[in-house]
Amino acid sequence: MSDKNPKILSFLCNWCSYGAADLAGVSRMEYPSNIRVIRIPCTGRMSPKFILAALRQGADAVWVSG
Amino acid sequence: MTNDKIGSVMIVGGGIAGMQSALDLADSGYYVYLVEKGPSIGGAMAQLDKTFPTNDCAM
Amino acid sequence: MEYPQAVPLKYRIDPEACIYLQKGKCGVCQKKCPVDAVDFEQKPQTVNLNVGSVILAPGFEPFSPTGLENYQYARHPNVITSMEFERILSASGPTTGHVVRPSDNAEPEKIAWFQCVGSRDLNRCDNSYCSSVCCMYAIKEAVIAKEHVGESLDCSIFFMDMRTHGKEFERFYESARDRSGVRFVRSRVHTVTPVPDSDDLELRYVTEKGELKTEIFNMLVLSVGLQTSPELVELAQNLDIELTEGRFAATDAFSPVETSRPGIFVSGAFQGPKDIPQSVVDSSAASSAAGELLADVRNTRTKEKKIPPETEVTGDRPKIGVFICQCGTNIAGVVDVPQVVEYASALPYVELATDKLFACSQDAQESMSEMIREKGLNRIVVAACTPKTHEPLFQETLTDAGLNKYLFEMTNIRNQDSWVHKNNPELATEKAKDLVRMAVSKVSLQEPLEELELGVHPAAMVVGGGIAGMTAAKSFAAQGYETHLVERGDRLGGQARNIFHTAKGDSVSEKLEELIRSVESSDKIHVHMNTALKDVEGFVGNFKSLLSSNGNEKEVEHGVTVLATGAEAYKPDEYGYGTDDRIMTSLELDQKLKEDDPVIKGLNAAAFIQCVGSREPGRMYCSRLCCTHSVENALELKKRNPEMNVYVLYRDIRTYGEKEYLYRDARKTGVIFIRYSPDDKPVVKAGKDKITITATDHVLQMPVELEVDLVNLATAVIPYGDEKLANFFKVPMNEDGFFIEKHAKLGPSEFSTDGVYLCGLAHYPKPIDESIAQAKAAVSRAVTLLARKTVYSSGTIAQVDQQLCATCGVCVSICPYSAPSFAEEGRFAGKAEINPALCKGCGLCTASCRSGAIHLKGFDTDQIFSQIFGIDEAI
Repeated sequence: MSDKNPKILSFLCNWCSYGAADLAGVSRMEYPSNIRVIRIPCTGRMSPKFILAALRQGADAVWVSG
Repeated sequence: MTNDKIGSVMIVGGGIAGMQSALDLADSGYYVYLVEKGPSIGGAMAQLDKTFPTNDCAM
Repeated sequence: MEYPQAVPLKYRIDPEACIYLQKGKCGVCQKKCPVDAVDFEQKPQTVNLNVGSVILAPGFEPFSPTGLENYQYARHPNVITSMEFERILSASGPTTGHVVRPSDNAEPEKIAWFQCVGSRDLNRCDNSYCSSVCCMYAIKEAVIAKEHVGESLDCSIFFMDMRTHGKEFERFYESARDRSGVRFVRSRVHTVTPVPDSDDLELRYVTEKGELKTEIFNMLVLSVGLQTSPELVELAQNLDIELTEGRFAATDAFSPVETSRPGIFVSGAFQGPKDIPQSVVDSSAASSAAGELLADVRNTRTKEKKIPPETEVTGDRPKIGVFICQCGTNIAGVVDVPQVVEYASALPYVELATDKLFACSQDAQESMSEMIREKGLNRIVVAACTPKTHEPLFQETLTDAGLNKYLFEMTNIRNQDSWVHKNNPELATEKAKDLVRMAVSKVSLQEPLEELELGVHPAAMVVGGGIAGMTAAKSFAAQGYETHLVERGDRLGGQARNIFHTAKGDSVSEKLEELIRSVESSDKIHVHMNTALKDVEGFVGNFKSLLSSNGNEKEVEHGVTVLATGAEAYKPDEYGYGTDDRIMTSLELDQKLKEDDPVIKGLNAAAFIQCVGSREPGRMYCSRLCCTHSVENALELKKRNPEMNVYVLYRDIRTYGEKEYLYRDARKTGVIFIRYSPDDKPVVKAGKDKITITATDHVLQMPVELEVDLVNLATAVIPYGDEKLANFFKVPMNEDGFFIEKHAKLGPSEFSTDGVYLCGLAHYPKPIDESIAQAKAAVSRAVTLLARKTVYSSGTIAQVDQQLCATCGVCVSICPYSAPSFAEEGRFAGKAEINPALCKGCGLCTASCRSGAIHLKGFDTDQIFSQIFGIDEAI
């Protein structure tokens, strides 16, 4: 794992966190670009399998927010 | 059958009240003219930061 | 453009400031605009419209305090209005949400709010009404300012009466005071003077105890009231509409959204100063009123959209079209769009990749549609802004091009890429490529989805035969819908039966009888008396309810349900209630007034005690209507016997809106108002001749003893808290037992459960006019559903592969919407199945299914995996 530049995969709930990430853009906030977002309909959709798959795929961190 | 009623409604004001009326009527089968004097809809509510009592964002 | 969230988010030319329009030279914008959007030739036009009805919702203007010299607004930069402070708090405002004062951009340490600026004031302005919303917005601003600056910020609100009479408002007030530490000072500040050699302001005011105090603040916010603008007054005159004393559109309590001119309705702050939820209620009510008028010409002016037949793509090899939006410079200014296009065109199954200046513009939509047909594309990816706002638009383009709208994936390279990584174009471009790759691999697994068409049974059921329930039933009937009105008692009318007058002084019983007659005589309304609801099944558009009356059961079918179950008056066990006939509740006094009981005229003195059972631990809400009710009855007592001494013992007088006139008139007539504090309540002692009330007078700061012949206890409005009913429709209740609406502001008359609506006292205490408005509002919302005749379920729902189902029942128990159940018959009896009409597509069952038997269409496991697998190339 690269300490300086971790690869982060995030699962964001369509109804809240995904909207919040949009708002961060509308407000022109800045954050590091090493994050990739997968939109999910609800955090209820989250399965542990997704987290394991992401880690196996080389993600250094997985962030689930909703 | 003669009927001189017209199935459309004019709403004066594009704030939260006007928009809600417009949506309700359009969804109920009426043609709506929404008339707003300014360049954008949203009215006073769009200028608020948050709204009481839940402190939701007004947008 | 006025502010970053304006809708439409477009620039316009200010003709006053444009050099070209003023002097005929310049025109730089026209030359620079890449899409030729600038047109200097546009001229004002007059358009004549013929319409069946008009709704006036022109709003209010904030009172301008420029003329109030003693508050220094026009002279001192650090004296601002509440609307200006709203902008300071806003993240998209001029200070990007940093609380700073205008004079030196320094963060203030002490801010004061002044209430009732331009309201409840005849000396310095013309507005003697209460603006209803300022107390709450001032508290909100103070709480949020403290959140922004930190605990240490000293926020003080100077007020006369704290009017937090709406739903959940009292708890908000309590929490602002006790938890956020906002200071509330009951005083009207008379002098504000700038502090020499600083930007601060010195306030001089008299405390409750009568002491003169001087205090210095860094900043002052004037809580300005709401008023009708002079242009509106003129408009009203042109339209021949009557206005009230406060220059609002005059309406009647029993027809709260009808102006004096038939066919013209009113909603929002032009009907009277009010908050957002009340405005939203009014607007829906006005729609209902217009709908009642125009029901027989419904659908005569609307246009049907033509939808081309859907191309069959199942089994075809994916042919993906990728459209990358430049969004002007919003995306293209950061992300290297040509590079992303080139990258995308090499991805598997991609047939075509191209960019668009503005993918959402009409011409871009048309060209997309054309390319879909020309190239035979069967999957589309749009990389642009956010799907939350633009997905429906692009899906419509797919539909217009004959593609199933679910063969689509949108990925966000603006809000979540170019806007947030603007200083790192290279990495932003990489990110855009990754996002496009993930979207392409997801969309290639996407299948066309079906939206289930469900019929809507064109009938309504209204539960509760009070004034709200009857109004709702009548409005449904007027709009052409069969209605079942279910009342558990043996009389229609509800609490209104007990009420003497409305706040406008009209007799209730007369209008109530009229309403009952019209409900009973309507051939569209089926009144079910002495009837209880035994069971409810079904869902939006298709409810089946089992009614039970004296042992007879009957099933009715209805597409929508309105809950108007009402509330009752609290019977107190304090102030000697129940031990003496002379101590009564407000409704009991109303009864005496109605019957013209001769006892009333003979009284020498009467007292009203407010907030009995309201605004107390365990019932931390204001019952909203009691202040107005008591003040009105106090006036009535004075009218019947001007010699009578009438006292009102209160905590805050909450005669909001134009009800304030009653309070003003009561004081003028000599009604004596004595404030008490909840930790020093009045003591009532019933003697043989007189009842003695001891209370501490707030002006004298001394105990006073009142001798009266009648005590009216203004008791709380308490809901029935009917759990069974709530369970039937899966609707929630708050801790007080009132139903919780879909959204406190935007959905006040409906539930989150589709097809179920609410109105009247079951929602929150409210006077008759507001109950009627909400009843009509609930109907308006319900009619939007009934008028459609069919509803479509979303395509992105869960489906069970019953061959894999192990019948473990986890999905059945876990679903918050009761969508899964065990199939009762057929080849897969006993296996789980999901009712598409109830499924909200959250995916909880899919994630919880241990057999992998449930698929969430549109977000299926293989699709999410394909996105996850897409990250390995990412840096």
